[in-house]
Amino acid sequence: MTLKSIIPMKDISLKELFSFKKSFSNVTMAILTVVLLALFLAGSVMYFIDGHHAYNISREHPWGLIIAMYVFFVVSSTGLCIMSSIGHVFGIKEFEIIGKRAIIGAIITITTGFIVIALEIGHPVTMIIYNILTPNFSSAIWWMGTLYGAYLGFIIFEFIFLVRENHKWSKFFGLGGLLVGLAAHSNLGAVFGFLIARPIANGVFFPIYFILSAMITGSYLLFLMYGFRYKMDFPEEVKVMLTKLAKILGLLLAILMFFEIWRMLTAIYGGMPGRAEVAWHILGSSNFLIGEVLLGMVIPFIVILASKGTNIKGMVWASILGMIGIFFMRYDLVHDTQVMPLQLLKIREYQLPPTFIEYFPSFAEIGVSIGGIGVCFVMYYLADKFFELDHNKKDM
Amino acid sequence: MARYGMVLDYKNCINCKACETACKEENGILLGADNHRIWVGTKEIEGEFPFLNIASNNFLPSQCQQCANAPCQEVCPTNATYYDENSVVRVDPDKCILCSYCMTACPYDARYVDDRTKTVDKCNFCADTRIARGETTTACQNTCPTKVRIFGDLDDPNSEISEVLRTRDHFTLKSHLGTDPRLFYLT
Repeated sequence: MTLKSIIPMKDISLKELFSFKKSFSNVTMAILTVVLLALFLAGSVMYFIDGHHAYNISREHPWGLIIAMYVFFVVSSTGLCIMSSIGHVFGIKEFEIIGKRAIIGAIITITTGFIVIALEIGHPVTMIIYNILTPNFSSAIWWMGTLYGAYLGFIIFEFIFLVRENHKWSKFFGLGGLLVGLAAHSNLGAVFGFLIARPIANGVFFPIYFILSAMITGSYLLFLMYGFRYKMDFPEEVKVMLTKLAKILGLLLAILMFFEIWRMLTAIYGGMPGRAEVAWHILGSSNFLIGEVLLGMVIPFIVILASKGTNIKGMVWASILGMIGIFFMRYDLVHDTQVMPLQLLKIREYQLPPTFIEYFPSFAEIGVSIGGIGVCFVMYYLADKFFELDHNKKDM
Repeated sequence: MARYGMVLDYKNCINCKACETACKEENGILLGADNHRIWVGTKEIEGEFPFLNIASNNFLPSQCQQCANAPCQEVCPTNATYYDENSVVRVDPDKCILCSYCMTACPYDARYVDDRTKTVDKCNFCADTRIARGETTTACQNTCPTKVRIFGDLDDPNSEISEVLRTRDHFTLKSHLGTDPRLFYLT
């Protein structure tokens, strides 16, 4: 039994593998990919030499940029999986064409997430062993990790059946992947939501918000993937799908803004120690105002609102800003959770009493995490070469 | 089997840091500002000269609170953090994957990374050293010149710690979080 008998693949030579149309957008992407990949390799080498000392994480701020980027990648994966399920699980006709492209995107982003987190977890092999031998069922990380493992299995099978045009089984694994993915992803939210020591993160908000923001991330990524695939010259059925997607995205963004407003109001109201001052700190930070609010929510929302969802080209460009905004959402989520010091007394001479904890990622952290996007690009490029990701007449 | 706890008569603390030194020596803690299992917090004098509030200045020795309902144990994915037979919260370095979740979850900032084993370490009431040798004292308690610390079995009604907790008013840190600490501060 060969690999090809399991999953249909294109026959391509080594020369074909590295050849592509030398258009401006393709060459730009190729250069960007090489730069990001070099960054990733540099960061990884620094980590293998110096271990965690290559990172700017500390006793007070143990989670840094790499955790944020892991969240970024797995949110992207869950988002793509949820959005693709609109078509081939729930049977909304116009969305059936996105199945293969969205699911391969979901596989690639979660794989990148796993690669990135493997360079942050101190002992990834021990993790695999003791995750099975001595599981702790009260740990959100245990559930998140285990469910994401199962999720990856489901979506790989889903993709195989999609490529084989077997819609009965792809629907079965699609539904499984969706349900397990939702459970895994809300558990990732719970990793933060369960932190009783951190009042700004503790509570029901994050598990729900993670699902909502995943759907938004998935929509942005679909705009980007299709914008790049068709170089802004969309076939009619894709145009119809993306217009509907823009409308859904508009609704999701409105809900997200509504959620964020109430999150901030409840965080500030009453002035609860450890929560209200962090909320004010967030509200005054440019990461939140420019990154999350302006780029992540407001600009894409205005583009959708102004054209009633029909400005697809505008949405592709807005999705680049949207993804930058999503990055800041993940970064702020991790950083703001830890910004309030737990030790409020000074414990050494010549030390000032602790205030908000400062953190800025090191070069190695930036390399591993931002460079991880390059790993994603390479895998997507290869997938596009080896598999037929475009929809065919039967999908329409 | 005991249920170990510690009482701290913190108002007697003179911030000599003998406890920190003894802990490092006994348990082989690496040097460096972030490598410490126990610490003494200093609350500085409030007000401006000459209107200084001397009563505001005090020292608060602290460490892992040995919670009966430990958030670090609840979040540990591989059960590397566990309660031993004496109800002491301990870390098994063989199982620790250094995900740092316990460091984020501990409300007392009591955990740090040991650079030799690359795992998360914490105070374990000298369980590897003095308790393992059959002694019933901890290094920090044994060395304290002003007798701030009383260490003992909370289940033994005749122990000094049980007697003090029966007769003196005390409080625990961040008790509203439901962690049920076994470190008690005398008022």
